Amino acid sequence: MSGETSSYAEMARTISPVRTLRKYLNIFRVSLIERMTYRGDFLIGTILRFFPVITTVLLWKAVFAGNEHRSIAGFNEQRMIAYLLLIHISRMFSSMPGLSGAIARDIRDGNLKKYLLQPLDMIGYLLSYRAAHKVAYITTSAGPYAALFLFCSGYFVGLWPDAATLAAYLASLILAFLIGFFFETCMGMAGFWILEVSSLLWVVNTVNYFVSGQMFPLDLLGHPWDVLLKWLPFQYMAYFPAVVFLREIEGPKLVEGLLMELAWAVVLIAFSRMLFARGLRRYSAYGG
Amino acid sequence: MTRYLRLFAAFARFGLAGEMAFRVNFLVKLLVEILWLGILLVFYWKLFEFTPNIAGWNRSEYFFFVGCHYALAGVVETFFLTNCTEFAELVRTGDLDGYLLKPIDEQFLVSCRWIDWSTLPNIVQGVGIMAVALTLIPWTFDPVNFALFLLLFACGCALAYSFLLILSSTAVWLVRNQNLMEMWWLFTTLMRYPRAIYRGRWASPFGFFFTFLVPVLIVVNVPAETMVKSLDLGFIVWTIVASLAMLVLSRRFFRRALQSYRSASS
Repeated sequence: MSGETSSYAEMARTISPVRTLRKYLNIFRVSLIERMTYRGDFLIGTILRFFPVITTVLLWKAVFAGNEHRSIAGFNEQRMIAYLLLIHISRMFSSMPGLSGAIARDIRDGNLKKYLLQPLDMIGYLLSYRAAHKVAYITTSAGPYAALFLFCSGYFVGLWPDAATLAAYLASLILAFLIGFFFETCMGMAGFWILEVSSLLWVVNTVNYFVSGQMFPLDLLGHPWDVLLKWLPFQYMAYFPAVVFLREIEGPKLVEGLLMELAWAVVLIAFSRMLFARGLRRYSAYGG
Repeated sequence: MTRYLRLFAAFARFGLAGEMAFRVNFLVKLLVEILWLGILLVFYWKLFEFTPNIAGWNRSEYFFFVGCHYALAGVVETFFLTNCTEFAELVRTGDLDGYLLKPIDEQFLVSCRWIDWSTLPNIVQGVGIMAVALTLIPWTFDPVNFALFLLLFACGCALAYSFLLILSSTAVWLVRNQNLMEMWWLFTTLMRYPRAIYRGRWASPFGFFFTFLVPVLIVVNVPAETMVKSLDLGFIVWTIVASLAMLVLSRRFFRRALQSYRSASS
């Protein structure tokens, strides 16, 4: 009996950071395998995903064909189309389909227990899970996207950034992933207070599509809308990384932008933690 | 036939009752649709600040096109989209068995069972945009032209429905088709813009392919062109022929899919 107790004590002592890391790495691995199971469906989806790219490029070409100055809000045709292609890269990192819905569903159905009963942090689990899906998504769509960018390489002539810009771009994308993830997590946490969040999500996603600059660069909106929207976190999920790549933002402005992005990420992380902690106090684990 | 109409009316009533049970949800869905329309209108309005015309369509004509697309998409969403996306779920869970046993045409049952009342106003909004655009175009009423437009609009709906049915039928083979709604949205981006934008070295063959081999570009283009631009007899005939052919083809495809269906679960 005493021997057993001491082995438990020993186990508790060996829960080191390495073990914690290994735990989350395993979640990552399993999620990656899961994701690769449905390749057929995935492939068709990837091919269809090019249709909007093609139509948007053609639409903007038609707009520029009729524009006498050949420049719209400081974007010429080449930069505009490059921007719209780069938006896809931003969204590859920042979009989190189904995340908020899944969190809200777990809260509503009482399934949240499964996280609470295990020595596992729910947000940490979901972050590993999403990171794996993102890696799977990015690696499987790397081929098609490489083909697309090669095909459209004409739009990138002379736009390829130097190493420093590229590093800033990568940083902005990773932060975009974090902002996307924690923004969606916060939305999901709303499920603690309202039973049905799906309708809220539709509204937010619809607005987000516009205010994050997925339709066109925010600069097109003109004063004061562009300034206002650049203060909000949404732009980091699409607009900001793209203009970093295009060197629309450089020097001190770039540093300032990245710091703002970091600040928003920290705010959203803290906010999601706070909502989670407050929510748990209200949570009553319905269901069996 | 009356039996089908009666059943359809019953489905419609049932759907409305279902929606009314979750009224707030219903209202939010309406709000989202209006919001989305607002965003689209702002977007196109912005575009026309930078150019007097897009691929030969001036602002008013273009907004007629947008309204036409919106109304047509509204028809598809209201009557067929939910049903067809749910077909994948029926296949996956094996619940399709119950449907196949009913003494009624399977295609009718699968594709008309549920009416999504929340997207019905989209049709009205689309018609509204078309009406406003027409008053700005200097347009005169011509009964023949108008009748042709209605006919071609119906053909467009038939074409879109056929594509949707084919796409959802693939669920039988690719069991997990859970993002069918998204796939449909991606596919229909092709009908969202004027045919004339498909110009250039690689875009022309692309446009040709989706006009004549997979005729999705004509769905909105031909009715809208007929109404506010010139009559192109060749395209009108092609749209009518293509819609009939696609209706037959999609029905065959659907039945072929049902033959391959192996019930799931026990």
